[in-house]
Amino acid sequence: MTDQTAPPATALPYLTPGTRAALASLLVAAICLALEGRADWLWEWPDAWTLPVTDWISQGLGWLFDLIRPVVRVISTLLRYPMDWVNVALVQTPWPLIIGATVALGWYAGGLSLALLSAIGLGFVLASGYWVEGMNTLALVFVSVPLALILGLFIGIWANESPRARPWIEATLDLMQTVPTFAYLTPLLLLFGFGPVVGLIASAIYAAPPMARNTLLGLQRVEAEVKEAGIMAGATRRQQLALVEIPAASTQIMIGVNQSLMAALSMVIIAAVIGGFDDIGWEVLLTMRQANFGQSFLAGLVIVAFAIIIDRISARMATNRDRHDLRISWIILAASAALAVYAWAALPAASDIALLAPTVEAVDGALTQFTRATGATLDSIKNTAMFYGLLPLRIGLDGAVLPFTWGFSWTATMSWVLLGGGAALGLAVALTGRVAFGASLPVMAVVLETGVADLPWPFVLFGVGAVAWVAGGWKLTRLALVLLALILVSGLWERALLSLYLCGAAVIACAVLGGLLGLLSAVSNIAWAIIRPICDMLQTIPLFVFLIPVLMFFQIGEFSAFLAIILYAIVPMIRYTRHGLVTTPPELLEAAVAAGATKTQIMRDVRAPFAAPTILLGLNQTILYAFAMLVITALIGTTGLGQSIYLALGQADVGLGIAAGAAMAILALISDRIVQGFAEERRRALGL
Amino acid sequence: MTTPDANGTPAIAVEGLWQVFGNDARARLKEARGRTGSAPEAAEELKQQGLIPAVQDAGFEVREGELFVIMGLSGSGKSTMVRCISRLVEPTAGSVLIDGEDILAASPKRLIELRRRKLGMVFQHFGLFPHMTVAENVAFPLKMLGKSRAERRARAFEVLDMVGLDGREDSYPRQLSGGQKQRVGIARSLAVNPDIWFLDEPFSALDPLIRRQLQDEFLKIQSGLRKTIVFITHDITEALKLADRIAIMRDGRIVQIGTPAEIVLKPVDNYVREFSKDVARGRHACLDSVIQTEGPLPEMPDDPKLRIDMTLDDALAACMSCYENVPVYDRDGKMAGYVHPKELADALTVDSE
Repeated sequence: MTDQTAPPATALPYLTPGTRAALASLLVAAICLALEGRADWLWEWPDAWTLPVTDWISQGLGWLFDLIRPVVRVISTLLRYPMDWVNVALVQTPWPLIIGATVALGWYAGGLSLALLSAIGLGFVLASGYWVEGMNTLALVFVSVPLALILGLFIGIWANESPRARPWIEATLDLMQTVPTFAYLTPLLLLFGFGPVVGLIASAIYAAPPMARNTLLGLQRVEAEVKEAGIMAGATRRQQLALVEIPAASTQIMIGVNQSLMAALSMVIIAAVIGGFDDIGWEVLLTMRQANFGQSFLAGLVIVAFAIIIDRISARMATNRDRHDLRISWIILAASAALAVYAWAALPAASDIALLAPTVEAVDGALTQFTRATGATLDSIKNTAMFYGLLPLRIGLDGAVLPFTWGFSWTATMSWVLLGGGAALGLAVALTGRVAFGASLPVMAVVLETGVADLPWPFVLFGVGAVAWVAGGWKLTRLALVLLALILVSGLWERALLSLYLCGAAVIACAVLGGLLGLLSAVSNIAWAIIRPICDMLQTIPLFVFLIPVLMFFQIGEFSAFLAIILYAIVPMIRYTRHGLVTTPPELLEAAVAAGATKTQIMRDVRAPFAAPTILLGLNQTILYAFAMLVITALIGTTGLGQSIYLALGQADVGLGIAAGAAMAILALISDRIVQGFAEERRRALGL
Repeated sequence: MTTPDANGTPAIAVEGLWQVFGNDARARLKEARGRTGSAPEAAEELKQQGLIPAVQDAGFEVREGELFVIMGLSGSGKSTMVRCISRLVEPTAGSVLIDGEDILAASPKRLIELRRRKLGMVFQHFGLFPHMTVAENVAFPLKMLGKSRAERRARAFEVLDMVGLDGREDSYPRQLSGGQKQRVGIARSLAVNPDIWFLDEPFSALDPLIRRQLQDEFLKIQSGLRKTIVFITHDITEALKLADRIAIMRDGRIVQIGTPAEIVLKPVDNYVREFSKDVARGRHACLDSVIQTEGPLPEMPDDPKLRIDMTLDDALAACMSCYENVPVYDRDGKMAGYVHPKELADALTVDSE
């Protein structure tokens, strides 16, 4: 440490925003630490300061619901008709005909590969013995999706036609997609009462935003000259929309249909937690609760089969206009109809088929054996991760280090050593010139010592505010602070911190692991050939199904939830990292090669910086995915906001459900804006 | 080359046309014009307020059957200009008369009517409807007119034949080459046989060989149809080749309007001169731009039989051995004026610094 490296005394005005934010956070952390034990209100938000927000919401909505309930009940009754019709049609239609029709559609859209996929997929559903449950689920999807599509198309067109309404519509769509899925259910439950109509409405509402978004995007992306050509031909606005713009946007709109279908399927399955309907989601839930994992896994695979078939056929129809010979489709359909008629009596009813029952037993047996054989290993994996990773992060080293787990107990001296060490290391780093990083080291030490869930609220507010300021200036800081304050006064703060901790831990794991896998995929085509289909698969599977495999091996608990979140949320990180790294402009690479850079140097100094904004966007997606999954994992025993939302659903406590859902949406929104802000800054720095 | 207008009303008359982009453009333009004397000053003031004056105080007339080219570099406002005339964008101020009718005052209904029957437009990037076949694209304006399916198809085939694209009627735009796409664009714009034809850089997106080929065919089609044309281009060679008259735009202003010969021989400023610098003047200017018709006839010992519509190059070649004034005849063989060979040579070199 020479004078040369020490920052000059006059450096203060030249501190970068990051440095200033880190130093300020450090200061607040120090103040909070100094006042520990003396000012409890700093460490724990006093109950006296909490407003009964949840009660207010309950009362307000209760009043509103009483007002509109008669109308809603009429809607509900009206919706029952199409639902029953579709249900009867799907369940009563002989299964060879339904399989035949799907295979015919698969052929028409994508030729042999999709026809085979449909045949194998539905064949599996039939063999699993879950045909009727599956059809019940599909019936809900097929009624809710048209509603969602009409709603979404209408909203998308409205946003396109009215520039004044557009920002409001877009903000609402953003919100609808960040509000956790469960949170939709509680108010609907109160309005519509128990029954499948809730699932139907929830899935229609949940599936509308992707359609609206893609419609708007498609309409906006229609080439200006194509629009002008329509106008110059003398089209009226209506003709222009119906004959020119909507057809020209059809590819994007079809992508909306695809996303809408997948969202509806996901939501219908989640809505099974309400119960009262004999569908496949309910089957998964039931068998999961009975710890009947072989059966649960089978039911989960049925959902996956549906998801893959629906996704691949609709995606192919959206992106590829080439159609295959319709005559072959008719032949397939006719053959299946003939089979249905000819063997009417001979064919077994779908509900009697259980070809896979032995397999399930075998799987169950193997699983039992496996868990018995490796139980100790699995337990030790889980315990290691919990005791040395998750728990310290959650309640801090001061709470997590116990003789029972770590072999010794934490003392105040150790706290001082940790904090002092962090400060010394930070100072050392700061003196090498990286002041921002140096100042954040002791802050991290404080977090590690205290634990995310026990952090004093002024420190959290200040820290988030400081990061928001670096990412997006005062405007973002203001937004973040106001929203966080809402959570504080509504009394959900502790639960929010618990959610933040689990989500944060999963996101960090995803970032490291996903980043590495993305890097591997970028440098090795073989790796990508293996990872890519897995990613495709993981992105098609409805959220719910992720719970099954983790439960099979690690039982109920936070670690299982942690794994489920990682499984789901890692995909965007992998994809975006790879995408960012492989899309470096060729001139840049040629310039680097011409300058004599090695492969490693190119990766570190050219590709990685260029990929930074893309990777940040991937991280952003990962965060949003993690929040979405966090709520679902409440089913397998997590604490925090997700649990509150799930409990609220069970108790029909609409105030708590909405407040906790909103708090979750707030956390997601703030993280989203902050990461977007950093990505934007990187993009600007690169001149993109 | 300019023919006097027969009925007196120009096909298109543009006057005091402004297109300013930005918030509250109309009021702020009015304000700026009230404060400052000249259009350039007003434009300067608007720019300082963060507005974009894309077209400034433009005025010109296009005669019936005339091929009027608006030429300028990218960002000069030429594309905006043609969109103002066709009212694809709403001009901020000024007037546009089409056959004497103020198109800016037209009701939405009337505007649709005008577009359906009277106006046709071709776009730089073709603007073809991606979801329609070639024939459906061409028939679209006819559909808007309410023609029957059979009628539409027959007429579409007819126009497609005219642009040399028969046989591709049922292809989709994505299956065509750039040149073929623009043939579809041209066919579509002609389907309702409009009186006025806007072409916005129709050949700029094509490669040079195809471009020249389409220019020639375009001239052939036009010689048969005699439409009133507003043609936008950034290519001086194209402008000189096609135009009856050219308007040169710079930074939103029209800096010169004239015949190709006038543009080449008498550029008003260095900007226009710069454009025509690399153009072989002798090939584009005809004798009518340099002949003397006034005063008593001088003595003319030689007669190389110059005609008024000869290019300067040809004329100069014909009177290589003449050193006195020579007579120039018009198309009917009557004497139209005279020219001195030295003036001819000077005209070709007048601007070389």
